Amino acid sequence: MAEFRLDAMGEACPVPLLRAEKKMKELKVGDILIVEIDHSCAMKNVPEWARKMGHNVELEEIEEGHWEIIIEKTN
Amino acid sequence: MSQLKEQTSAFWKAVLKDPMPYWLGAIILAFLNVIHFAQFKSPWGITSAFAHWGAWVWQRLGGTPESWAYYADNAKNLSALKAGFVQDGGSLLDVGIIAGALIATLLASQFRIKKIKSVRQALAGAVGGLLMGYGARIAFGCNIGAFFSGIASMSLHGWVYLVFIFVGAYLGSKILAKYLL
Amino acid sequence: MSSSQTTLRTQPRTRPTRQKRNQVGYGLAVIAACAVIGILLGGIKAPLAIKWLFGIAFGFVLQRSRFCFTASLRDPVLTGSTSITRAVIIAFILATIGFSALQIGPYLAGQTVPGNINPVGIHTAVGATMFGIGMVIAGGCASGTLMRMGEGFLLQWLVIIFFVAGSLLGAFHFGWWETHFIASSPNVFLPQVLGYPLAFFGQLVLLGLLYLLALRWEYRKL
Repeated sequence: MAEFRLDAMGEACPVPLLRAEKKMKELKVGDILIVEIDHSCAMKNVPEWARKMGHNVELEEIEEGHWEIIIEKTN
Repeated sequence: MSQLKEQTSAFWKAVLKDPMPYWLGAIILAFLNVIHFAQFKSPWGITSAFAHWGAWVWQRLGGTPESWAYYADNAKNLSALKAGFVQDGGSLLDVGIIAGALIATLLASQFRIKKIKSVRQALAGAVGGLLMGYGARIAFGCNIGAFFSGIASMSLHGWVYLVFIFVGAYLGSKILAKYLL
Repeated sequence: MSSSQTTLRTQPRTRPTRQKRNQVGYGLAVIAACAVIGILLGGIKAPLAIKWLFGIAFGFVLQRSRFCFTASLRDPVLTGSTSITRAVIIAFILATIGFSALQIGPYLAGQTVPGNINPVGIHTAVGATMFGIGMVIAGGCASGTLMRMGEGFLLQWLVIIFFVAGSLLGAFHFGWWETHFIASSPNVFLPQVLGYPLAFFGQLVLLGLLYLLALRWEYRKL
């Protein structure tokens, strides 16, 4: 149940998604990955991708235009 | 009372903050493009105005773009060049897109100045911009004018554009994965 | 909003979440400014104000739906997602039907058919390939660049400068392309070649098949 962070601030699509994808592969089931983004399209496509993969996902807006996507690896 | 307040705030969140589904955006954009076509006898386009912006700056610097075939041999382009920014509907539409996106972002309280992350990102942006500008001129439009409006106009160039924009996107993805990831 | 709304975190955020600023007031101010500009433009010529309004509507919808033509072409290859691709196909199907309603009259009357019907040839292939590479590495095409300028991305303010410079260079070289390729390239309005029913319904069927293909690609076994 470790928690990892991925800083994708300032990265444009599709970099946040590709980096999250890569990072998720290194995690164990039950681990949490928090992806930090400020790209307004990534706040839509990263959660969409993670849900499609069957993970548990939450999106939190930390500041205006700055989000954290919290993904729990389930498989 | 607090329940009502909660419902109201949920309503505004759904309207102003939560992104619209892609398919709903698609329906509205198609509808807007059709009424643009009906109103102006020509479909939605974006990049023609970019060439005029460059040409106006070039004129200021002493250049004579009006002597280029692009302007000299094309009455529509030439009249847009002569009319100037405020009289050019295409330019106004483009600036309107910026304004519309700004309004949407502010109403969602998600506006934030996003800085350029690295020299590499800036370089990719500059090269990408040049490629898009040049490409759109010789292909008769961008993803809007040649692709969206071209295919919807049942023009063969729209379909050929589709094949090669896909080739370009594939090559671009390889470059991105190699240098920008 | 407090972080208590998230349940997946193993530990609370270490940095305190400061109160988010409400920007709706600024939004209303920009709407008011846009309205004033619209009225001024309408005073010059009504179509200018209409173009301005169209731009605002396009920008608003693009941002609200995060519509991205670049992603529609890039993501199937890069991430395997086709949700935007399928939305783009829906837009094309609907626009084809709408455009066709405006084109069929002039077509049957033997007049020039309105629409974006332009010469097709080598220049289309070269230009589209260049555009495709450019939009992926710059993080957005023309509509995406304008939309992200409005969202506050400084990168896109840089991109637009080079986009305009590239356009100017393209316009400068256009004569060369015209002499060598464009002059000998035909405008092909598909109904003129295939007949109206085949072109129209054929295009809808083809777009429908592309939709199904995209759907299969999305849910293929990885």
